[in-house]
Amino acid sequence: MRWRPAVLLPFLLAACAKSDAPSSGKTVVRFLAGPDVGGGAKEVIAEFHQLHPELLIEMVEGPAGTGTREDMYSTSFMGGESTYDIVYMDVVWMPKFAHQGWLRPLDDKFTPEMQAQFLPGDIAGSRYEGKTYRVPVQSDGGLLYYRKDLLEAAGIAPPNTWAELAAAAKKLQNPPEVWGFVFQGKQYEGLVCDFLELVWGNGGTLIDEHGGVHVDDPAAVEALTWLVDAVRKDKISPDGVLTFQEEEARHMFQEGRAVFMRNWPYAWNLAQQDGSPVKGKVGIRPMVHGSGRSPAATLGGWGYGISSFSKNPEAAWTFIEFASSREAQKVAYMKSGIIPTRKALFDDPDIVSKSPHYKELREVLETAKPRPVHPQWARVSDILQVHLSAALSGQKTPEAALKAAADEIRPAMAR
Amino acid sequence: MSRDRAHAGFGPREAAVNWSFAVPALLLMALVNLLPVVAAFRYASGFHRLSADGRMFASLWNTVRFTAYAVSIETVLGLAIALLLTRPFKGRGLVRAAVLVPWALPTAIMAMAWQWIYNPEYGILGDLLFKFGLVSSPRVAWLASPGSAMAACVLADVWKTTPFMTLLFMSGLANIPDELYEAAGIDGAGPVRRFFLITLPLLKPTLALAMVFRAIQSFGVFDLVWVLTGGGPGGSTRMIALYVYDNVFRYLELGYACTLTLVMAACLLVMSAGILYFTRQKEQA
Repeated sequence: MRWRPAVLLPFLLAACAKSDAPSSGKTVVRFLAGPDVGGGAKEVIAEFHQLHPELLIEMVEGPAGTGTREDMYSTSFMGGESTYDIVYMDVVWMPKFAHQGWLRPLDDKFTPEMQAQFLPGDIAGSRYEGKTYRVPVQSDGGLLYYRKDLLEAAGIAPPNTWAELAAAAKKLQNPPEVWGFVFQGKQYEGLVCDFLELVWGNGGTLIDEHGGVHVDDPAAVEALTWLVDAVRKDKISPDGVLTFQEEEARHMFQEGRAVFMRNWPYAWNLAQQDGSPVKGKVGIRPMVHGSGRSPAATLGGWGYGISSFSKNPEAAWTFIEFASSREAQKVAYMKSGIIPTRKALFDDPDIVSKSPHYKELREVLETAKPRPVHPQWARVSDILQVHLSAALSGQKTPEAALKAAADEIRPAMAR
Repeated sequence: MSRDRAHAGFGPREAAVNWSFAVPALLLMALVNLLPVVAAFRYASGFHRLSADGRMFASLWNTVRFTAYAVSIETVLGLAIALLLTRPFKGRGLVRAAVLVPWALPTAIMAMAWQWIYNPEYGILGDLLFKFGLVSSPRVAWLASPGSAMAACVLADVWKTTPFMTLLFMSGLANIPDELYEAAGIDGAGPVRRFFLITLPLLKPTLALAMVFRAIQSFGVFDLVWVLTGGGPGGSTRMIALYVYDNVFRYLELGYACTLTLVMAACLLVMSAGILYFTRQKEQA
């Protein structure tokens, strides 16, 4: 549906970011981002200002919660405002925003030759209905963390398949002090990400490119059965995992109280920092998969798009081109630890010497796939969250849960 | 009686003056209350979807249960605390102030605190119950199963808003003349009889008002549940306000969200009317 004049918005809005236009005569390009931890973005902007004194990049450092920032962009666009020229967006916002007509297609500027230099998953997550709406600048993908020391001591090779992980976890765990496997089990988007990796890693898919729903296919049922069994049958995961988001899982792993953890790359630096009980004892590898299958990662990550309401799309593109360049991405990595999206940077000697684990990380990111690119994804994900959570908490069998989810998703997709 | 006397003195002139005092406030009320309601009616769409919307019915049912549990516990507890606090004792002022602290805290912040209290690994609730021998392990995942997650939300809400009830009941109790108790005491009525014959009937208007207030508030519960469970596990604590939020911000369906808020308003109207009718009928009997 399209938006009618947003008379209601003032009443729905809690806060609205808008600054006054400066009178310096410069063309202002504005975007909303999270807190600039480490100062990488500010450094990139400062370098850009040196090159382009005629442009003024205004980065609004918004709340850390990505959902809140999504709301802020949405409300601004619902009102047809030109507050933000650039849209700094999470990979999952893109289809929704593009479907509403809030984003400009970038294909004439972001050519296939340019796109070929980026990780394939990041590009796939930037395209919607045959057009490109986003230039990725930060890559992210789910992976498996494991306790190198514990596995080595027991003479166990790092697991490739789900069965190997479960066997190793059972052998090495000592609950409730040390658990085998922790993941994101709370009813929220993270649970769907974890589940997707297992489905893809089992040769399945949730929604195919023609919009077909495969949520209750055997591959998906089997994947959910693994996850449910981890909590309820094998007992390699604590009951409390149903309340875990990323940080709860990381805390447990970092305290040395879990053998395996599914998480995002950010946990690496924290687990390896001074004072961490597991410093130097951690390995990473692609998420485990079904026997005879190949691993997969759920793609996260951020990129720049241009708002349809922007009055300065050319200036916005000038900045985006710079901010996604090799040099700028390297600055962002050095200052803020942002994972690059350009393949070449994973071989950059400065980066490899500072982050030796980028070799394994690249393997993970090469297998990363975006969540189904569909404007109704938020609704689909919400439906999945409830039924996955119901299966994990034992309210339903995996079959019944996914059958119910599929029955709800089919009409929702048609909306 | 006293009210009649006050009205008797109003001439047309006083009325005009009185209205002039009221108009700015009424205008403001119209702006912030009436206008959004009118807009909601204007933009509401998708009414035909309501009857087949399973999530709406499930959310409404969860919300009704949450409201019923929370408000009834808060009423009983609030009344008990109010009765205690109206008796004179040393340090009463301090206790009265302390009781209000939970109510003064922003809900999102106190919900974070409760999340720690319920934490499956180091939460203090599990630890306390374990020390009293009520659970077999201090590590209890309160928010991981449907029944205990709902109970956990209710408990946090009770902790937060019982003070509000206490406050209202204390003012209600202060309005009951002491002479009535003295007279009943002379006639030989014990504390229990005095409570049921004097306190409860005379407090009924306050009770009704407080319950309507609280019912309206808890029917719109959002931040507490949002922080504690996000509606999980398995959708067991999904409230209607979460659904409205999802429609506005996640599904970008403003029209249907307006429709849902109208459904909410209708439910509140029925609920409030029910509470008022129930209490009034007994008053006349």
